Amino acid sequence: MRSRASVLGGIVAILASVVVFLVPFAFIVLMTFKDQRQAALRDFSWPTGFHLWDNIVTVVTTRNWMLVTAFVNSTILTVASVTLLVILAAMVGFVLARRKTKFNGLIEFLILAGLMIPPAVVPTITLLQGLKLFGTLHGMILIEVAYNLPFSIILYRAFIATIPRELDEAARIDGARPLDVFFRVILPLLWPVTVTNIVVQSVGIFNDFTNPLYYLPGNANATVQLTLYNFQSQFNTSFNLLFTNIALITIPPLIVFLFFNRQIVAGMTAGAVKG
Amino acid sequence: MAAAAPTSHGKSRSLYPGWFFLPAAVIYAVLFLAPTLSSFYYSLTRWTLFNATFIGLDNFVQFFREPFLVQGLINTVVYAVITSGLKVVLGMALAMLLTSNIIARGYLRSVVFFPVLVSTVGVGITFTVLMHPTQGMINEGLALLGIKGPGWLVDPKLALFSVALVDVWKGVGLATVIYIAGLVAIPKDYYEAARIDGAGPWQNFLYVTLPLSRPATATVITLSFIGGLRTFDLIWAMTKGGPGFASDTVASVIYKQYQAGFYGLSTAGNVVLFILIGILVVPITMFLNRKQGHE
Amino acid sequence: MAGLSLKSLHKSYGEVEVIKGVDLDIEHGEFVVFVGPSGCGKSTLLRMIAGLEDITGGELWIGDKLCNAVEPRDRGIAMVFQNYALYPHMTVYDNVGFGLKLAKTPHDVREQKIREAARILQMEHLLDRKPSQLSGGQRQRVAIGRAIVRQPEVFLFDEPLSNLDAALRVDTRMEISKLHQDLGATMIYVTHDQVEAMTLADKIVVLNAGVVQQVGAPIDLYQRPANLFVAGFIGSPKMNFVEVKVGAVNGETVTVSGQDVLNLQLTKPAASLGVGDTLTLGVRPHDLTPVASGSILGRVALIERLGNETIVNVELPSGASWLAVLAGDHALTRGESLTFNADPAKTILFDKAGNAVY
Repeated sequence: MRSRASVLGGIVAILASVVVFLVPFAFIVLMTFKDQRQAALRDFSWPTGFHLWDNIVTVVTTRNWMLVTAFVNSTILTVASVTLLVILAAMVGFVLARRKTKFNGLIEFLILAGLMIPPAVVPTITLLQGLKLFGTLHGMILIEVAYNLPFSIILYRAFIATIPRELDEAARIDGARPLDVFFRVILPLLWPVTVTNIVVQSVGIFNDFTNPLYYLPGNANATVQLTLYNFQSQFNTSFNLLFTNIALITIPPLIVFLFFNRQIVAGMTAGAVKG
Repeated sequence: MAAAAPTSHGKSRSLYPGWFFLPAAVIYAVLFLAPTLSSFYYSLTRWTLFNATFIGLDNFVQFFREPFLVQGLINTVVYAVITSGLKVVLGMALAMLLTSNIIARGYLRSVVFFPVLVSTVGVGITFTVLMHPTQGMINEGLALLGIKGPGWLVDPKLALFSVALVDVWKGVGLATVIYIAGLVAIPKDYYEAARIDGAGPWQNFLYVTLPLSRPATATVITLSFIGGLRTFDLIWAMTKGGPGFASDTVASVIYKQYQAGFYGLSTAGNVVLFILIGILVVPITMFLNRKQGHE
Repeated sequence: MAGLSLKSLHKSYGEVEVIKGVDLDIEHGEFVVFVGPSGCGKSTLLRMIAGLEDITGGELWIGDKLCNAVEPRDRGIAMVFQNYALYPHMTVYDNVGFGLKLAKTPHDVREQKIREAARILQMEHLLDRKPSQLSGGQRQRVAIGRAIVRQPEVFLFDEPLSNLDAALRVDTRMEISKLHQDLGATMIYVTHDQVEAMTLADKIVVLNAGVVQQVGAPIDLYQRPANLFVAGFIGSPKMNFVEVKVGAVNGETVTVSGQDVLNLQLTKPAASLGVGDTLTLGVRPHDLTPVASGSILGRVALIERLGNETIVNVELPSGASWLAVLAGDHALTRGESLTFNADPAKTILFDKAGNAVY
C-alpha cells in the first residue's frame, strides 16, 4: 500500500520532472513544426501551421545534402569503432582477468591513465598526418577505439572475473584452442556486457563532437554533431531549421533508449559500482 | 632453446595468449600513448605549421602570466567542483526518491536518464536559446512569476555557472542511475537493525545509506570530476568561452590556441590539464578508495 | 589400452613446491582415488595429468606416450569438474557435443554419439535444455556425458560429488562405480571424502603436503596404514593415538604402558622392539571394549546413544580425548570412570618417525 504522502510526493515529482526535463524537449519538438517567422520568437507556443515536412526537407537538402552525408559518416564511424571496441576490449579483458603476470599492474595503470588523461590534440594531429590518417574516416575510427578502449576493458574485465575458469579448462579438454575458447565460450557469455558496451559506446561516439572537430575537418567528412556546429551560423535566423536538425540527430539515441533502457542502466551500474 | 624444444619438456601453450593484447595495445600505444608522451616535448616548443623551436618553459610561464589563461585554469576547477558536487547531491537525492515507493517510478527514472543520451551540442544550443536574457523561455517564465531573470550566459559573473547547470541537467541521470544501483545493493537487514535500534529516517540516512553507498559516491565523483575538468563541447556550444574569457576552460583554451596556430601553447594547455587532473583526481580517488577499504 | 605412469613428478609455483616427486603406476581399467586434506596437492596432480597445469619436473606417461607437453585434447583424457563447468549458453546437446564439433566430427556421427551417451546416462529427455534448467544431479550427469562422448582412455574426476546433497551423493557414487564397470576405462578420482575413496577405489593414493603417503587397496590402507597420517586420515571416526613405552617383550606378545595405559598386551610385530622404546599406540574407536579392569583408563566426557551403537567420548588421565564406538546401547553417565581393552590384533604401533611397525 502506498501512503497518501508518497502519492502526493509522486505528483510533485512528476510535475517537477515535466517542467525541468520535458519542457526543453517539448520546446525542440514544437520548434520543428513552426515556420521561420514564428520560430524567431523562440517562445513556448503552439505552432500556427504545420511546417515539419518543409523544415525537414530544407535541413536535409541544405549544402548539397550534407546531413545525409553526415548520417552516413556517423553511422560508419559508430558501427566500425564499436565493433572493434567490443572485440578488442573483450580480448584484453579476458586475458587480463585470467592471466596473472608481472605486467598486469602496468596494464591496469595504462587503462586508468587512458580514462583520465585528456588526449594531446596537436601531437595527435601531427601523428595522424604522418600516418596519412588525418581527416579520414578510418583514422577517426581508430581514434575513437583508442580513446574508448579503457572503459570497455574495465566493463569486460569485471564481468569476466565472474565467469568460472573451469569453463575455459573444460573447453580446453574438449579440444578448444585459445581462439575457440574466446569466440565460442567466453564471448557468447559476455553478451549482457556487450549490449551495455554497444549501447554506451555507440551513443557516446555518435554524439562525439570534440574529436571529429579536431581530427575530421572538412564538409565531406562531417559527422552529425558537426552539422549542428556548421549550421548554427547559417541557421542563426532560422531557429525552426536549427531545431529540426537537433531533433533529427536525436532520433538514433532515442531509438537506442527505447530499446535498451533497462540494459543500459543494469550494465552500466554493474560495471561502474563494482569497478 | 625454448623454440627448439617444442615436444618433450617444453611448456604447454597457454590458453590465454599474450597476443590477445596486441591489436588493442598497438592502437592505444600509437594513437594515445605516443602523442601523450610527445606532448611533453612539444609543450616546451614554439610550434607553428612549419617548425618547432625549443623554448623551455616559456609556454607554461605564459600560461600562468596571461590573465585570461589563468582565468581558464580557475574556471576549469570551479566548473568541475560545481558539477560533480551537484551531481553527487542531486544524484543521491533523486536515487533515494526513485528507489522509494513513489508513483510513476519507471517514468521518472526514464525521464531523468534520457538527457544523458542526447547530443551535448544539441543540448547546448537548445539551452542557449532557452537562456536568452530577453527572448529566452526561462526568463519569460520567471517574468510570469514576477521575477526578473538574470542574463544567464551574457553576464560574465554568471556564464560559467549557467553552463555548469546545464551540464548537471544533462549528466545527473547517470549519477542517479549509479546511486540507484548502490542503494539497491544495500541489504534491507541494516535498515531493519537500525529501526530496532531506534533510528529515525535521518539517522538511517546518516548511518546506513550514506556510508554504505560510498562506492557509488566514489564512482560518481571520479567520473564527473574528470568529465568536468575535460569539458569542452558544452562550453563551446553555449558560450565559446565568452563573454570575453569569462567561461573559458583549459579545454576551450587548447582549442582556441590550436585554431590560432599556437600549437606549442595549445599543447602546453594539454600538459597543464594532464597535471591538473593528476594532482586533483589521483588523491581524490585514493582517498575515496581507502575509506572504502576500512569498512 | 592406457595405463599411466608418473615418474618423479614435480610441480612448483615459483619457490613454492606443491608436488614433491610423485611416482605412481596406474594400470589400464583401474579406478584410482587421490585422497588427502585440502591443499595436499591432489587436485594439482590431477590437473597435471589433464594437462591444465604445466609439469615442472619428472615424466608423465599415458599409455606409451610421454605427455608432459601434449595438449589436453591429445592425451586421450576427459575430465569432470567440481562445479560441472557446463557451458551456460549451450543446450545439453551442444554441451555434450562441443568437443566433437571442435574435432570436426561429421554431423551424423556426432548425433549418434551424443544420443548414445545420453542413453547410457538416461538423460535423453534433457538434451534440449540449458544447464540453468537442470538440477544439480542432472548437471552432474551432463558433465559425465560430456566426458563419455569423447571416448577417453582415462576419465578424470575432480571432487565431482562435493556440490550434491547427501542423498544424491550416494546415488551418483554408485552410478560412477557402475559406469566404471560398464566402460572398463581407467578412472582417476580426486576427493577429500574418505568414504568416497573407500567405496569407489580399486586403489587409493593418500597424499599429504605434495608427497604420496601410501598407495594400496582401500581395506589394506584401513588395516595396515603405513604411517600416522594415513592411520589418522582413513577410517571414521578417527583412530585414537597415545604415547606408550615398551614394558616387556615376551614371545608372541608385547606389553606397553604409559600415563594412560596400564600393561596393555599386544600381538608382537615382526620388527624387533626393545624394552623402553617410546612408541605411539593407535586404536580404532571400534576396537575398544569396556571391561571391568582394562588397561586403558578414562572417564566418560560425552555420550551419544544412537541405538545400534553408542559413541563415547573418553577423557584419559593425560587429558587426551578418545572416541570409543561400542556396539549396542549402553546407558553410561557423564563423569563415570571406565576402563577398556583393545583388540590386540588390530592395534598398531608407530615408531618415533611416525611409521607403522608391523
